[in-house]
Amino acid sequence: MLEIKNLHASVEGKEILRGINMTVNPGEVHAIMGPNGAGKSTLSNVLAGRDGYEVTQGEVIYKGENLLELEPEERAQRGVFLAFQYPVEIPGVSNIYLLKAALNAVRKYQGLDEVDAIDFLNLVRDRMKLVKMDEQFLHRNVNEGFSGGEKKRNEILQMAVLEPALAILDETDSGLDIDALRVVAEGVSALRAEDRSIVMITHYQRLLDHIVPDFVHVLSEGKIVKSGDKELAKELEKSGYSWVHDAPEGQTA
Amino acid sequence: MKQLTEITTPFGEVASAKTLPGSELGWLQQLRDKARAQFERHGLPAKKVEDWKYTSLWSLSQEGFSHDANAVSLDKTELAHVAALEDAYRFVIIDGRFSAELSELEDLEEGLSIKPLAEGLDNAQSMLGEQIDLEKPGLNAINTMLMQDGLVLQVQAGKTISKPVELLVISTAENQKLASHLRNLIQVEADAEVTLLEHYVSLADTEGFTNVVTEVKLDEKATLNHFKLQHESLAHYHIATLASKQAAGSNWHTNNISLGGKLARNDIHSQLLGEESHVTLDGLYLVTGDQHVDNHTRIDHAVPNTTSDEVYKGVLDGNSHAVFNGKVNVHKDAQKTDSSQSNKNLLLSRSCEIDTKPELEIYADDVKCAHGSTVGQIDEQHLFFLRARGLDETAARSLLTYAFAVDVLQRIKSAPMRQALSNVIEKRLPKGA
Repeated sequence: MLEIKNLHASVEGKEILRGINMTVNPGEVHAIMGPNGAGKSTLSNVLAGRDGYEVTQGEVIYKGENLLELEPEERAQRGVFLAFQYPVEIPGVSNIYLLKAALNAVRKYQGLDEVDAIDFLNLVRDRMKLVKMDEQFLHRNVNEGFSGGEKKRNEILQMAVLEPALAILDETDSGLDIDALRVVAEGVSALRAEDRSIVMITHYQRLLDHIVPDFVHVLSEGKIVKSGDKELAKELEKSGYSWVHDAPEGQTA
Repeated sequence: MKQLTEITTPFGEVASAKTLPGSELGWLQQLRDKARAQFERHGLPAKKVEDWKYTSLWSLSQEGFSHDANAVSLDKTELAHVAALEDAYRFVIIDGRFSAELSELEDLEEGLSIKPLAEGLDNAQSMLGEQIDLEKPGLNAINTMLMQDGLVLQVQAGKTISKPVELLVISTAENQKLASHLRNLIQVEADAEVTLLEHYVSLADTEGFTNVVTEVKLDEKATLNHFKLQHESLAHYHIATLASKQAAGSNWHTNNISLGGKLARNDIHSQLLGEESHVTLDGLYLVTGDQHVDNHTRIDHAVPNTTSDEVYKGVLDGNSHAVFNGKVNVHKDAQKTDSSQSNKNLLLSRSCEIDTKPELEIYADDVKCAHGSTVGQIDEQHLFFLRARGLDETAARSLLTYAFAVDVLQRIKSAPMRQALSNVIEKRLPKGA
């Protein structure tokens, strides 16, 4: 599904990622953890194709294609989905319009016709249940006036409608209270599938109580310094991130 | 120089040579003569005149316009294509002349009177010229001496007219370089309400000149929902004055959409003369290429307890140039005035230009006035978000442009009107998926 090889990336001339190696197979859920400034968000932004990130070395292969050569929309159309850490508010664009435009963009790439209006509404209503969103949110402008939790649920709703092959969740748990976290996590868990991979980027272990990952990686100073299973996350929770710096570089999954 | 020295089109001579509507009415002849004298003295304003600082009439002054049009007809299917509203009373002016044949004015609701200018002049003395300032630098004088046709609309006291009225002004390719001087008189009597769309359109890339003055008089507690959609050809000049006087408790909602024209200028003047009167003065301009659009608005809060709410938005692309000048004048005793004004602009290219100037003059001390203007570009974060959801860059830009403009449309209460205007605007956006 996704293969990251020796990925180096800089922001404004400053090297943030210093050789990331990682392989994600279909159906796997990977968690990338690490302290602030480790490069977690840089990694998700590089994968999604945001401007301002310069890849200086290495490559990212997604379903056999060089992901880094694709425009952000081409990545999305091929099934890469980024759930934003800070979802933007877009005045003037309704949620339902966005969902439809996004779904049709994917369908167009797949050679399918635009979605039928009734099928679309049924799909969206069904997926809204997953994240316990009220239908009134459909007609509101994207994220405008939403609470922190509503914005994150809205991201997961988009994921649920678009059914990506690879979802990258960038700190989807940040800023959520316990109840909102549970709703978001249950939504994501429900979207686990054999042909769908999920990469969760998080600072805290608590999200992983709800979405149990197959692999956990510790990112520190732009490198994956340790990889393991869910037990590693618990260890981190207990001992903090300081000990990983002393540990030898971990094997990549 | 305060005025342009050479004017190719002999407007004054045309006025003497032509037989214009109402030539038998002494008061009107006097008014036309006064306008003629005003025009002879002041001509067309040059850029030295403050109100015309950013808009040059030089190229207009150099065009030789004709005042004689060949009769034109249009088949009804073509007309239906051009009209903006499906279910409306339609008053059609084609190449400067009212066409009874193309209009749809049968079975008017009780209380609604619609006439072409020539027929409506008899009772118009108390109305015509009362809302505008003939001395103001601009084209009011030319319009007054040459006005040849227009819509005279009256709603009787207490009547609410359910169907909207579309004033459809069409310029065709049959009459190139035609100048049309139109005067519309709109009177809504006490407790009455009507919806009017002024719609200006060209068929093909016609060169022409529309000079229109619309006067609005709202009696006590009258309501006028007024819309203007101007999308004439990119070779067309459009100069307009829109002026209202409002009595106590009246409401004027106006929405001015400028899409077309080589040069479009609107002078809009709202005079709140009765307490508890309100005006919503909205506008949207979408310009590209070498288009120039200039909106000068002025609101006079002349008495206590009046309100105004103004939102103007602009989208500029190419080498276009837009001007917004919004004056709000709160008179000495106009206490408890509540006025808000904003002008926001979205620039899509590096070579477009916007000159925006909100102006507040407040002579009362217990008032609430807010105003502001902004100039910005498409937000890169928004753009990335939409692309990350699969929209290609053109589609994403187009959507964000529409999103920027849409709140002016969302302020329109009537759903069919909002839909009709949205459809026209969507077609003008940069093409996307």
